[in-house]
Amino acid sequence: MEAVSNKVYHDTVVIRLIQFSVIWALLAMLGGVWLAAELIWPGLDFGQYWLSFGRLRPLHTNGVIFGFGVSALMATAFYSVQRTSHVPLFLPRLAWFCCYAWQLVVLLGGLSLLAGYNTSKEYAELEWPFDIAIAIVWVCFGVVFFGTIAMRRIRPIYISNWFYGALIIVIAMLHIVNSLALPVSPTQSYSLFAGAQDAIVQWWYGHNAVGFLLTGGFLGMLYYFLPKHAGRPIWSYRLSVLAFWAFVYSYIWAGPHHLHYNSVPEWVQSLGMVMSVVLLAPSWATMVNGIMTVSTAWEKLRTDPALKFIVLSLAFYGLATFEGPMMSIRSVNVVSHFTDWTIGHVHSGALGWNAMITYGTFYFMAPRLVGGELYSSRLANLHFWLALAGTMLYIVAMWAAGVSQGLLWLSVDDIGELSFDFKDIMASMVPYYLLRLVAGLIFLAGTFLMAYNLYMTVRGRPARRAVPPAVAPAFGVSR
Amino acid sequence: MSTNIYSFLLLRSLYQPLAAFGELSRGDPAPLAIFFRYSLWLLLLPPIFALIGGANFGWRLGAEQPLVLPLAELWLISAGYFMILAFGLVSTALISRWMAVTYAANASLGRHLALVTIVGEPLAVASVAHLFPDVLVQVLVLIPTMIWSMSLLYRGLPVVLETSPERGMLMASSLVAWLLVAAVSLLGLSMGLWVMGIGPLLGV
Repeated sequence: MEAVSNKVYHDTVVIRLIQFSVIWALLAMLGGVWLAAELIWPGLDFGQYWLSFGRLRPLHTNGVIFGFGVSALMATAFYSVQRTSHVPLFLPRLAWFCCYAWQLVVLLGGLSLLAGYNTSKEYAELEWPFDIAIAIVWVCFGVVFFGTIAMRRIRPIYISNWFYGALIIVIAMLHIVNSLALPVSPTQSYSLFAGAQDAIVQWWYGHNAVGFLLTGGFLGMLYYFLPKHAGRPIWSYRLSVLAFWAFVYSYIWAGPHHLHYNSVPEWVQSLGMVMSVVLLAPSWATMVNGIMTVSTAWEKLRTDPALKFIVLSLAFYGLATFEGPMMSIRSVNVVSHFTDWTIGHVHSGALGWNAMITYGTFYFMAPRLVGGELYSSRLANLHFWLALAGTMLYIVAMWAAGVSQGLLWLSVDDIGELSFDFKDIMASMVPYYLLRLVAGLIFLAGTFLMAYNLYMTVRGRPARRAVPPAVAPAFGVSR
Repeated sequence: MSTNIYSFLLLRSLYQPLAAFGELSRGDPAPLAIFFRYSLWLLLLPPIFALIGGANFGWRLGAEQPLVLPLAELWLISAGYFMILAFGLVSTALISRWMAVTYAANASLGRHLALVTIVGEPLAVASVAHLFPDVLVQVLVLIPTMIWSMSLLYRGLPVVLETSPERGMLMASSLVAWLLVAAVSLLGLSMGLWVMGIGPLLGV
């Protein structure tokens, strides 16, 4: 279609964000592998506080979620919102600010975690100065994203933008409310919430960070890049809209399932459980939509190694979104909670769904952004099998470890006393942790291959100058 | 297709899987014949091994003392195990046939049942590890076996169901999604049953 404007898309910022995302993936996953090794050989902290499990673990989770994940989401949101709105980014300098300021927050925040500054709230460990900085950058992200949509030349707002929009709005709301605190020094603060209320707010935040960031945001990625990969529209647009509203409505209630058998009202726990089970419907609606879209584009598999990642990510998305509701059922949760089954569940989502769809998307974007070819399809194919093997080994090892832990912890003798010692149970987990370490190394090796492949693809090439195409008059916005 | 070829189908699928898949693709086996002549016997192996292992050695979950369950309870668990496996096999074959339209694959139920049987065969044979029901032993034996089974699925599906390799890859991935969900359902169901009192004595 002929271009109507001499303006070009701002893609250099997208390339930079992809580069940062890959760097964070390598560092944070390396941290994960180190942690896995520490669980087998605790002496690997070498007596250094900053290398202890308690400090490295939040660094790993924050690095993966906020470094790798959010950088990837910013990159794909900036890329897709321009193309679905047919205009360049609104306030491109602000987009650059988001790019670098976010990396600075993750870097300094990570160092503060290593130094031991920690709010003790899972996935919200950073202290108040970082919370404020995150809120500012996030609002700027929203200004660029929604500003671009407001300036759009095409009337409909494509479904991926609804998901990215929900990501921006809901994460801002969750982050600000959960981070409300009274600072007592530059490095310490006390939450405004206390006791059971604090727990409920924390898991309202924690679960919806998973929901709207690791699910909603990445669904935005899926809805834009899957049809692009496949070269045809989404199988059912109507189903995608239905799934969006059902997802937004039901996810926000599900947090209390993290607090089963805790000191919060039982009805709150039950509500969280019921809404978690309800969540299966929108999650699987999206999975079916994705699978049916790709099913009609099978011939693309011959030429597009990246599509395999997206196909498999849908399978793991289906698994994780089934396993989550199942684990929220109280009679299952009583065994699974506080065991490595939860870790396996999280990683079936993080490795199988988030990482794989991101890898597939990066393999798609990188050559197009610089107007070239992917450096090596063979390496991408090898990466695919490494990622699959690593993920499978990881989750199966953690399933076995988790079920064993759950049963042993709950096992009682004839007079009702615990049958097994906590220390002994943990000592018996070493073989599973060894398997997990191997799985992590396999997955990390694949990520290194991707980093090299993408580096060679974009090396020495500037971003291609892409121009917004014309809009059909029936869909155009008159200004 | 002659009966003789079918007689050795299971054996050949272990050491010459592609040839066995090729043979299957040249016939239209009856579903009941496949089930009663092949699938059923494979399905019986894991529960029988689990029963023998559980009765003689107890479940070794990592602690020094194994969990020893009464024989009557072990029978109940093994019967449940068999029922779940049978349900899993038949439902996977039915789901596979249901998917066949989408992936332009052959819709013969007999072929789908035979494919699922062959794919599950290494796991059924490897369930001999249940004779010593140590969880770690199961993991070490069954993970490589599972990779073998997945490889059979990806390689065999396009041949047996006569679809292109690309469509076969997509269909196999969809079946993997279903199988992962089935596996985790089995875990969840087991937890629910144990909490209800069928299995080890839990303090809940």
